[in-house]
Amino acid sequence: MQPLRKTVGSVRPEKAEASALEVSGLTVRFGARTILDGINFDVRDGEFLCIVGSSGSGKTTLLRVLAGLARPAEGKVQFAGAEISGPSRDRAIIFQDYSKALLPWRTVRGNVALSLEARNVPASEQDAIVDELLGIIGLSRAKEQFPSQLSGGMQQRVQIARCLAQDPKLLLMDEPFGALDAMTRQSLQDEILQLVADKKIATVFITHDLEEAIYLGDRVIVLGGSPAGIMETMEIDLPRPRNQLTTREDGRFLAYRHRLFELLVQEHPPQAFEGKGQQ
Amino acid sequence: MRRLLDPINLAAFGFALSLIVVWQLLADAHLLSPIFFPSPLRAIEVLQYRAFDGSLWTSLAWTALRMVVGWLLASIIGIALGAAIGSFRLARVLLNPTLEFIRPLPASAVIPVAILFLGLSNAMSLTVIAFGAVWPVLLASVHGFSSVSPQLADVSNVLGLKRHDFMRKIALPSALPDIVAGLRVSLALALILTVVTEMQSSLPGLGWDIFFAQRSYRSADLYAGLIMLAVLGFAANHLIMLFERRALRWRNLGT
Repeated sequence: MQPLRKTVGSVRPEKAEASALEVSGLTVRFGARTILDGINFDVRDGEFLCIVGSSGSGKTTLLRVLAGLARPAEGKVQFAGAEISGPSRDRAIIFQDYSKALLPWRTVRGNVALSLEARNVPASEQDAIVDELLGIIGLSRAKEQFPSQLSGGMQQRVQIARCLAQDPKLLLMDEPFGALDAMTRQSLQDEILQLVADKKIATVFITHDLEEAIYLGDRVIVLGGSPAGIMETMEIDLPRPRNQLTTREDGRFLAYRHRLFELLVQEHPPQAFEGKGQQ
Repeated sequence: MRRLLDPINLAAFGFALSLIVVWQLLADAHLLSPIFFPSPLRAIEVLQYRAFDGSLWTSLAWTALRMVVGWLLASIIGIALGAAIGSFRLARVLLNPTLEFIRPLPASAVIPVAILFLGLSNAMSLTVIAFGAVWPVLLASVHGFSSVSPQLADVSNVLGLKRHDFMRKIALPSALPDIVAGLRVSLALALILTVVTEMQSSLPGLGWDIFFAQRSYRSADLYAGLIMLAVLGFAANHLIMLFERRALRWRNLGT
């Protein structure tokens, strides 16, 4: 709850907003192994936060903690003012492996409706909501098809639609476009930006593609080290709406990329670094 | 109809037909005494005769009914126990050792015990059938329920599905391919045990017919009974395959 913003000029609007999610002193262990150590960050209302790091840096673990699917050993994770104690419908998570996250025996409509069934939306109202969501995400024609009949990009859209049907306030995405071809990835990037802006959903987006992180994010957090901690937090000062051509050609974009690349390369020798974004 | 006229199906049918012709020729040659080895035409005559006087249908109905009811009992128990063992650690720890101990028991060895408690009755027959036929569907269900993808469990948790909704909407459909495979094996076992219990305890049915025909040296009747049992088993298996194709339609779409 923030008082009226006084001036528009120098203060970036996000900075004036309240935090949706606050992570302080977060430490996660699997048995004796410490995965994440002393993580502090917050996600502001409506912010798009990207987290990058090489594989094995604990990104997915961090996201699972935010979703309530994993428990921290130490530290506090607060969402909307209350401590996270388990999964909740207002925090949706989009899994990397869409083929395993969908119910193969349900049609596209049935998969999206699962969210509504869990929310106890009356059956008579479900169809209209599903139709609307499928329209938004561009799946109207595939409504009666099964996941196995769809391309990877379409399956990931089904997962996104199902998450939107949860009516979430926070969207957690775990390398959602990593397995998709470049063109599909770009169009989904733009669509997801549009969607979360329209619905004012705060987003935490995990990727190992540095360019993707810069393109999408208001801020980019770099995870690294073992156990992993935050190496750097980078404000991305690029105009919105982002554009696949002009944004990526912007000098600042290239400077951010340069900086992120150096950070991750100094941690991992080049051959071990999986730089999907380096074309 | 087109499927029936498929060249491969025609060839398979031709092969079966030629076996019967060979059978007929061998019988006509009287290489073996017709007391042991009647011609197929004689067996078919018996079938015709028994179809007209109605005794064939009574026997068939009894055997089919026992098989189906026994199999349904086995299926319900097997799926319910399998769901519990496959989904809950407590049930697994509690039940597994006992089940592992009972499982190797041949169902036919249980017949005397069942007769002791239930007499020469249908209840005895159904108990033995259910006991013997429960294992394939039980093991398949345990496997199906215990291999529900952890990712789908995550999805269910995040969506806030209640436990029973998870079981019904995610675990059961996910285990269904395994369960159906188990159901098919169980059905075959149910038919075997139906015949065995009929023979053991003079219950009316095709099994008893065969047994009685053998004791009275009416070998044509014996073969007639065998033919009917084969037809029954074939039909039951095909019904299950039809169900499987329908229930698991999503698996055979491919791209």
